[in-house]
Amino acid sequence: MELLTSLVIVSVAALIHASFQLSISMLTLLSSHTIGSKRSHSHLLRLTNAFVAGVGVMTILLVSFTALVASNVFGTKIPSLAWVVLCGLLFGLGVSVWLFYYRKQGGTSLWVPRDVAKYLHDRTKATKNSGEAFGLGLSSVVAELLFVLAPVAVGAFALVSVPPLWQLVGIALYGLISLLPLLVVNGLIGSGRKLSQIQKWREDNKLFLQFIAGTGLFILGFYLYVAEVLAPVVSASAGSAL
Amino acid sequence: MSQPIDVVKQGGRRPSERFNQNKLHNSLKAACLSVRSPEGEAETAAANVCRAVIVWCTERPEITSADVRRVAAHHLQRIHPEAAYMYKHHYLVL
Repeated sequence: MELLTSLVIVSVAALIHASFQLSISMLTLLSSHTIGSKRSHSHLLRLTNAFVAGVGVMTILLVSFTALVASNVFGTKIPSLAWVVLCGLLFGLGVSVWLFYYRKQGGTSLWVPRDVAKYLHDRTKATKNSGEAFGLGLSSVVAELLFVLAPVAVGAFALVSVPPLWQLVGIALYGLISLLPLLVVNGLIGSGRKLSQIQKWREDNKLFLQFIAGTGLFILGFYLYVAEVLAPVVSASAGSAL
Repeated sequence: MSQPIDVVKQGGRRPSERFNQNKLHNSLKAACLSVRSPEGEAETAAANVCRAVIVWCTERPEITSADVRRVAAHHLQRIHPEAAYMYKHHYLVL
């Protein structure tokens, strides 16, 4: 895989990762509780920044860990079978996102089991200092691992074949792009925008976001299947026929 | 209120408790503050809605927490629609 192709695949995987909403929901809740309990604006910013930092650190750790495992198991060349498994995962998750990502009720309720959602809700409500907010950010990524794992694995698989320095660039790129929506929401909250407006926009556009995330997974899976599974087989067949 | 009112929580999955006006007031005020209303406005809105909810539940010996939330949101909607939106959707964010 060429360097540029790898970085583009990493960027697309990170964009799909960015379309998942659990961390944004938790950031909205955290802000809502903090503003509602009359804490200062600087305290709010400390909490939201720590939360975003937690999400960023866990995302980067996940990509790095997956890339390390992939490079230890497969070396610098990922076998076709691993790509086939990953493509299957992407197709399956794409359909799951279309069908299950948001619950069929008002608001922006996600697929997360209700007990877990209640626990996260209570933890968000109880968060009062930056350390807790950082931990909450870490756990929000882990809570959505089921959906996040596929784009993370794509990013990691794409990175193992590039030179080490570019691997670092790729990991940073993945972290930055996957954090973009959180950074935007954090900026809006920091600039004094009303949470009701942000939440209303999210609710009004949730079906579009769901469609984009599912379709993105599907398109990425299709591209990887053609580029990493079919193309080498076709090239080998054509080579042996000549 | 002439007699204590029991609030059935989460359809009976959690133990019932006595209706607590302060708890309702605080949650309504927090909803108003979360949409960046000034504190005075939040206080007034919460107090008005609390009064309306108390009138509604006076004749009822037992009510559910979902009822309280629904009725409070209904009254808050007329006074402060944005806060009502946050109040109604608070448990539907995650």
